Amino acid sequence: MLELRGVDVSIGERRILSNVDLRVGLKELHVVIGPNGSGKTSLLNAVAGLKPFSVTRGRVLFMGLDVTQEPPYVKAGKGLVLAYQFPPAIKGLQTKMFVDELIKRFNVDGRYVEVLSEILDVRSLFGRYLFDGMSGGERKRLETFLALLTRPKVAMLDEPDSGVDIESLSKIAEALKAVLGRGTSLLLVTHSLHMLKLMREYVNGVHMIYGGTLIYSGLYEEVVPLIERYGFSGALMRLREVS
Amino acid sequence: MKALNKPSQYGPDVDLGRFNIGPAREEGFSESDLEKASSRLGISRESLRKGGYLQVNESIAFRAMGEKLVQHGAVILPTNEALKKLDWVSKYSWRLISPDRDKYTAATYLHGGELGYFIYVPPGIKIKDPIYACLFITRRDYAQLLHNIVIVDDGAELSLITGCGVPDQPMNSLHIGVSEFYVGRGSKLSFAMIHAWAPGMVVRPRTAVEVLEGGEYISYYVIYSAVESLQTYPRVSLRDNARATLNSVVTGGGKGIYDVGSAIVLSGRGASGEVLSRNLGRDNSLIYARSRIEGNAGPSRGHIECLGLLESDNALIESLPELSSLTPEAVLTHEAAIGKISEELINYLLSKGFSEDEARAAIIKGFLNIEEPKLPLQIREIIKRTIEHITSRAMG
Repeated sequence: MLELRGVDVSIGERRILSNVDLRVGLKELHVVIGPNGSGKTSLLNAVAGLKPFSVTRGRVLFMGLDVTQEPPYVKAGKGLVLAYQFPPAIKGLQTKMFVDELIKRFNVDGRYVEVLSEILDVRSLFGRYLFDGMSGGERKRLETFLALLTRPKVAMLDEPDSGVDIESLSKIAEALKAVLGRGTSLLLVTHSLHMLKLMREYVNGVHMIYGGTLIYSGLYEEVVPLIERYGFSGALMRLREVS
Repeated sequence: MKALNKPSQYGPDVDLGRFNIGPAREEGFSESDLEKASSRLGISRESLRKGGYLQVNESIAFRAMGEKLVQHGAVILPTNEALKKLDWVSKYSWRLISPDRDKYTAATYLHGGELGYFIYVPPGIKIKDPIYACLFITRRDYAQLLHNIVIVDDGAELSLITGCGVPDQPMNSLHIGVSEFYVGRGSKLSFAMIHAWAPGMVVRPRTAVEVLEGGEYISYYVIYSAVESLQTYPRVSLRDNARATLNSVVTGGGKGIYDVGSAIVLSGRGASGEVLSRNLGRDNSLIYARSRIEGNAGPSRGHIECLGLLESDNALIESLPELSSLTPEAVLTHEAAIGKISEELINYLLSKGFSEDEARAAIIKGFLNIEEPKLPLQIREIIKRTIEHITSRAMG
């Protein structure tokens, strides 16, 4: 569904990531994990096509087509959508109005909206301005809801597990499982193991990123126990030695 | 009368000799012009028929008040007729606004012939559906001079929607509307004013409102057209426990000068008022967003919120808030911010499938939307439609 081939990401002249290869298949969940500042958010933003990030080398293939330089809204329209780590508050824009607009644009059926909004417990937020004055958990649940509402073929989620309480985390995990079952593929970025553990049975690949390079790609069983035992750097060192 | 040469304290001075000012005279108007002006204001002829007043140039084209309301003693008349037929109206005429305030009030007093609308709602009568008043200009180089009086007696309620406009071509005319609103004890007046003018128009509304004990006044002003210049500074005086919220949405366009203010005087204990404004600077427009709250009695509360969004490098927005307090018991605050559309917000909407133009339109729509739940639904609907019309331009 989504394939990155030798991708470099830059902001202006400054290169943030080099030579990233990654492949997400149909109904698959892949997790990119790395410490703060390793380039995870930059990778998702560049793939989504958001300025000031740009893919300066390599190709982004979506459903077999080269979408590297397509603008973000075209990608979203085709089914490649991004959920923000810190979605901005848009005062004056009613959440309900925005939700209705997305439902109309993406021709989403009512049952899907109902199920998704129930799992993520976001209905009570519809009367408020978009993300305005919302808690961390409310923001993450709503942003996950909005991204998944578009019925994407591939959803890229930027740290849906950071700054949320256990309850919100399990709701988000439940929603991700539900959409995987309905045919959406997921590329998730995180710097903690919380979400990974909740999604364990669904994870098809874990990709360790550090200092702008994707260092290691493997299975959950290979990577997560090592991170738990030795920390991220220790796990990375050991994996490098044996690979 | 010396005042005929007295410039206003604010806004560019205008030579009234440019306009045909003289004794009122009847003149026909074309239906198609009328239709164009109504549709720009979003006020249908059907709405007017239910309860309304329509004046084109100097001609009163239509006035109506529901039969039931008339039985209850409610009145809608041209001001000149009200002054002739009802003795008591004169004591409300030119009481809140002095004729010699400036050249615009003086011209209206001397040459306006007391045209305009007069509305009276008797004590305890709550008018459910809004009354519509439309004031159109279809003539060039013409001065429309209006004097409006609204009295909402004790414990009564009225929603009034005023639309002032021209058909879409440049008019080079002058509109002056002198409005005196009296809100009685425990009564409520909701007032929306929508302006759809055109390049070349000079607009000088003069509004003063008196709200007696426990009364409430809510206003919502929207202007979304180009003008030559607009200057207005409504002043609302609040007695004990009276409340007021003054909202204004100013969309500057062309080379227009928009000098729009709102003032609240907290002159009674327990009074509270808010001035909220949204200003959108487009093209080469200049917007001066003035606001003033005077805390003359306490305890009382007042708040000013003025936000500006620049859509053009050649536009200017100046926020000029003033807080003045005579008592430590008055709590007065203000906040103001002016900027351009945030790239972060545009990016966010792009990520959800909006094109750049659509993202801008959605952000502007959100920005201009001052939520005013206390306004009746019909007024909110009209404002919503107007704001949608404004934002449709951002979609290209």
